[in-house]
Amino acid sequence: MAKLALKFEDKVLKEITLGQGLVTIGRLPDNTVQIDNLAVSGHHAKIYWETDHYVIEDNNSLNGTFVNNRKVSKQPLADGDAVLIGKHTLAFKDEWHEDAPTGHTMAEVPSKPVPKMEATMVLDTKKAKEMMAQMRAGGAPAAAPAAGAGAGSAYQAPPPPPPPMKERVGTLSVISGKTDQPNYTLTGKMTVIGKSEMASIKLKGWFKPQVAAAINRHEGKYMISASEKKIALKVNGQAISGQHQLNDGDIIEVSGVQMSFGYAD
Amino acid sequence: MSLAVQVAGKSDLGCIRTNNEDNFGFDTRCGIFVVCDGMGGAASGEVASKLAVDTVLKYFRQHARNGLFPPFGKQFEGVSQRANALASAVQLANAEVFETAGKNKEHAGMGSTVVAVALKGNFFSIVNVGDSRIYLIRSGEIRQLTNDHSLVMEQVRRGLITLEEAESSTIQNIIIRALGSEETVEPDVDDLMAMPGDVLMLASDGLTKHVKDPKILQIIQNAPTLDKACDDLINAAKDDGGDDNITCVLLRLLQQSWWRSIFPGGAHKWQNSL
Repeated sequence: MAKLALKFEDKVLKEITLGQGLVTIGRLPDNTVQIDNLAVSGHHAKIYWETDHYVIEDNNSLNGTFVNNRKVSKQPLADGDAVLIGKHTLAFKDEWHEDAPTGHTMAEVPSKPVPKMEATMVLDTKKAKEMMAQMRAGGAPAAAPAAGAGAGSAYQAPPPPPPPMKERVGTLSVISGKTDQPNYTLTGKMTVIGKSEMASIKLKGWFKPQVAAAINRHEGKYMISASEKKIALKVNGQAISGQHQLNDGDIIEVSGVQMSFGYAD
Repeated sequence: MSLAVQVAGKSDLGCIRTNNEDNFGFDTRCGIFVVCDGMGGAASGEVASKLAVDTVLKYFRQHARNGLFPPFGKQFEGVSQRANALASAVQLANAEVFETAGKNKEHAGMGSTVVAVALKGNFFSIVNVGDSRIYLIRSGEIRQLTNDHSLVMEQVRRGLITLEEAESSTIQNIIIRALGSEETVEPDVDDLMAMPGDVLMLASDGLTKHVKDPKILQIIQNAPTLDKACDDLINAAKDDGGDDNITCVLLRLLQQSWWRSIFPGGAHKWQNSL
């Protein structure tokens, strides 16, 4: 007779005797074995009898099903196998088959520790995308913080998804001073103003600094800062120390060049 | 003018783990600094993080001399050549870890995070995959330069949960990008201007989970040396529980003396993976 012991950190929570029928495992109450934990998918995995042995099959769950530390999609179960679902372990015991050659997986990995939940896990891109799609739909399946065993019902009004941010592109037009171009579009993450090879806004003329200032683009915002204290940087006539966020129409003055900042349509 | 750099790096088991899956390495000769946090059972995490650190260091050591960094994988538009070199190195590390995991059954499913800084002249580029972090401390302020590729932080960015909720979430350990989990990976890259006095910190989540930004700032500002700052940061994480491996690499950028800028060389320092 085969048995499953549902364990959480070495504490047996429940024992299930397996028959020939289908046993489902998941977070939702309609499963044969319910594991109420957010790391467990609604219908996470199932165990069933196939010809002469039990098989575990993962239902494309978010965090996967692990047998003896190995991620599986479908795998025959052998006596002594440890199935990890979220933070919970299902110990599979098959007394019926004890005389049969016991699971090879067991022999190969005799005492491999079951990974702890605190260990970092990675979602593959496909699953991450599915997750994000669910989140966008307002489902927020994993949004509940630690507090919530019953968070599912408390989560009645999911916030509307944020509107897709359209990244505006900044431009600079040179008003006075010598540069290699009259206009620039700030598509890069960082735009350097100076004589250096790194500079995309090249200053012309003797005694110009290698790097006068740089403009960083971050999430649609543009921040300007001087390269060092002795470089005088002004925005709309005000001296700037540290970083300054540029707004449409700002006039920048640095190293003898005057430019106006704006957003392209 | 280019800046001189001081560096210190430390890695610690923490209070609970019996193995260290973190790794780090740097080489000031080619301005590369890396921290990786590995994952995967049965010692695989160590293998993944070491392989990732080694691959990134090797790529820079091989190609920094002539400055020609052969592109590998996706290249990014609108970023510097140095940032694309970092992107290449990280994608190469991904391929190495992925292949090694595929070839060796006992390493199946292993992976690693990576954060790295490439420093040249007055600029530095950064790269990130996973939930390790890079911070910049400049004129008394601390700023996180990387976005965690974790499920909870993605939810924070989308406005679904608050930062406080994220920090108490039970699923903080789920990351959505890692080296070695898939055939390709998309790193985040960015370029920044360096200023004299800047301090950069690269750290694994074993540190940043337990020591919050203001505390990091305070420790770094009060420590007499970078070495001491590393120790203090690690101890602060351990005092708070230290349930994971803890790693930090600190760099301080300094105004170079005029004679050193004419005669470069001298006080170089490097550290291979552990």
